[in-house]
Amino acid sequence: MTTSVEFAEFLPAYLAEVDELLASAQRDLLAVEEAVRRGAAQPRAVRELFRALHTIKGLSAMVDVEPIVSVAHWMETSLRLADQAGGRLPESSVEPLVEGLRAIEQRVRQLGAGKPASPAPANLLERLEALGPHVLEAAPPQPRRVVLDAEAAFASKLAPSERGQLEAGLAAGQRAVRLDFVPSAGRAAQGLTINTVRERVAKLGDIVKVLPLSGAAAGGASLAFALLLITSSDDAALLDAVGGAPATVRSLEADAPEEAAVPLAPLPPTAVPVAVAEEEMEEPEVRRGGGLLRVEVSRLDEAMEWLAALVVNRSRLTRAVTALTATGAPTRELTAILQENGRQLRDLRSAILRLRMVRVGDVLERLPLLVRGLRRTTGKSVRLELDVGDAELDKAVADRLLPALVHLVRNAVDHALELPEERVAAGKPPEGLVHLGCHARSSGQLEITLRDDGRGVDAKAVAKAANAPVPESVDGLLDLLCRPGLSTRQEATSTSGRGMGMDIVRRIVVEQLGGELRMETRKGAGTTFTLRVPLTVTLVDAIVFECAGLKYAVAVGTVEELIDVDALRVVRPAGADGLGLVERRGAAVPLLSLERLLGRTAPAQAGVSRGAKALIVRQRGEPVAFAVDRLLGQQEIVLRPLEDPLVRVPGVAGATDLGDGKPTLVLDLGALGAAHGVRRKGAARPGEWVS
Amino acid sequence: MSVLHVLFKVDGTEYAMPAADVVQMESFSGATPVPGAPAHVAGLVQVRGRVIPVVDARTRFGLPPGTRSLDSRVVVGQLGERTVGLLVDSAREVLKLDPRTIQPPPPMVVEGAKGFVKAVAQVGPRLVMLIDFPRVVGEETANVDGQR
Repeated sequence: MTTSVEFAEFLPAYLAEVDELLASAQRDLLAVEEAVRRGAAQPRAVRELFRALHTIKGLSAMVDVEPIVSVAHWMETSLRLADQAGGRLPESSVEPLVEGLRAIEQRVRQLGAGKPASPAPANLLERLEALGPHVLEAAPPQPRRVVLDAEAAFASKLAPSERGQLEAGLAAGQRAVRLDFVPSAGRAAQGLTINTVRERVAKLGDIVKVLPLSGAAAGGASLAFALLLITSSDDAALLDAVGGAPATVRSLEADAPEEAAVPLAPLPPTAVPVAVAEEEMEEPEVRRGGGLLRVEVSRLDEAMEWLAALVVNRSRLTRAVTALTATGAPTRELTAILQENGRQLRDLRSAILRLRMVRVGDVLERLPLLVRGLRRTTGKSVRLELDVGDAELDKAVADRLLPALVHLVRNAVDHALELPEERVAAGKPPEGLVHLGCHARSSGQLEITLRDDGRGVDAKAVAKAANAPVPESVDGLLDLLCRPGLSTRQEATSTSGRGMGMDIVRRIVVEQLGGELRMETRKGAGTTFTLRVPLTVTLVDAIVFECAGLKYAVAVGTVEELIDVDALRVVRPAGADGLGLVERRGAAVPLLSLERLLGRTAPAQAGVSRGAKALIVRQRGEPVAFAVDRLLGQQEIVLRPLEDPLVRVPGVAGATDLGDGKPTLVLDLGALGAAHGVRRKGAARPGEWVS
Repeated sequence: MSVLHVLFKVDGTEYAMPAADVVQMESFSGATPVPGAPAHVAGLVQVRGRVIPVVDARTRFGLPPGTRSLDSRVVVGQLGERTVGLLVDSAREVLKLDPRTIQPPPPMVVEGAKGFVKAVAQVGPRLVMLIDFPRVVGEETANVDGQR
């Protein structure tokens, strides 16, 4: 690999940025396709698409990913032409553009997986390159000459495409207006800022451009904004959206018909009101931002870690106060403050957790594109209905859940839905339906239902494929479907492979997320999958190790150091009850046998000698080494707290599934050592607080 | 009204609990031991994504440890919010028990069973012990001498 250091450093940010751009590009492309089918122009989506590709190209050039740069370049070129042609694209151009986005996405995935991006397919590049001329042919001749009021429209500040957009709007019988908004402290207090105004006005029409005005142009105010838009709304509605006077509305259509002879020409600069920083205002980020901030998840996790440190500190403080109270000291106020502190910590925790929540709707935004692709590859007619409301989900859950949903949607279209002619023969509408609904349950769970009106699961065929008796219940049928490697198809299809994957869906939903998966199916009428997943999970970066034949995990953050233990150099002081000492940088560190702490062997035969490695953990500020047999590696785990009182024990933070379907304990070594220390001695050492 | 019961065997004796309290039955392939948990807790198992504790019926009833076999079952029971498994030697039958055949346990059984048996049912020639599931599972937390 020739990857430079800077590249590796920049890569996560690059991937995050490109991912987001791709998502918005996919949305825009769908909107464009929709418009193309209706034969309409979609200037804004074309513009946004062009910008997304432009930015992807620039970013990719910075990290030197040539294949993505090439694909993005040719897409951008044709989109620029389309933008200049007023947002029109020929129908034939949609497919290559979709393929282009997919090619970029594939390469982004490769980079994300640490692989080099494969070269851009030559034939795709050729087709994208050939798009340009097609786009120009598709540009319609100007139907009717309309003229803009050059002064009102700041003609010199408008790009030809923007002018074209305003004129096209007029030609299509809409109004082209300039809406001036004057911000003030009072308005901001009512929630009226340029950002909210943009959003409100965007509901009433298509904003072509927003120009900040200063000085005389601002109509007496020190700063004003002119919004140029195409709309069907009347003046009153527009004024209402920006909070009424002193806002003004002006038509951009020139009054004087004779001016029509003179094509719009830039006026001398002196005649034009001063516009400031117009280019920056048009950056898509400004619009997309709207009070949103993109934050790397690792930073949120960092905040979580600091919160955990606070919680630990608080419990130490509580112990100290309890001990103080026991001596008869006046601690009433201290106790009250501690209680207050506890509430604040809980609030802080939920605030941080809320930061990690993403809207389910945003997570699912790539499904329409997926279905679109499936429509083409399967030749089936499919309608995807999304009914997701505004439910929110932890980012970690969302990231894990999406592949499962993608799988289910694929299966629904590829396997469950029939071809149009079969559907008609069965008395159904030719267009199949895939409905995805989503509701937050009060129990901190999200319920997702995926319903299709296809042929239903054929229990006999599944039983035959699984070489098992026909299941009696639908649960039994689901169990069969979820057998690894099960396929009812002889031929692999390009979309769903061999129809495998229900085992993966169940793994994700049930094992990784601790949720539930259910199914209902009726022959000829369709199938519904119901998924219930928790809204949040706790992810921990953990060290996994083996001790006395069992695997355990421990949070990386709690481990100070990993050391090799040389059995011959372990000092065993007399009367220390098996406790050893190892030397670390000139200081003696107590070495505990984890095997023994865990009660895995009888104390008599316990020895530290078996431990070849040790984890050093701070226990009440002092380093303590825990001897283990073998380190197995580091990985991210989903921590499941143990709720039942039978197994809520000190030293065990929870359990996790490392992929073998069995619970693995996640240890809190500091607490384990402390609990052991107290048990062993039956009393606290001086200077320790014991509750 | 006859009530549907799940029957299982521990050390040759037949026990039963209402089927309404049983979520499901699972075969048993070992549990993850939890250090410091009460002695009768065999460990943790994962059942349909949930991690639940399993109580070893033999240890709980003070019986000699048995060998796990293919017949070993975990009877997963619901106790209000809690879901707890009970490890038994085998569980094959589901039976409707006529309440008229259910009698209070003889005093000797009460004594020996530490209150785990709340009634005895007569099923033909067989005697079936109705267990007090909440009591068998217990609420004991492990060594609370350590700090949380």
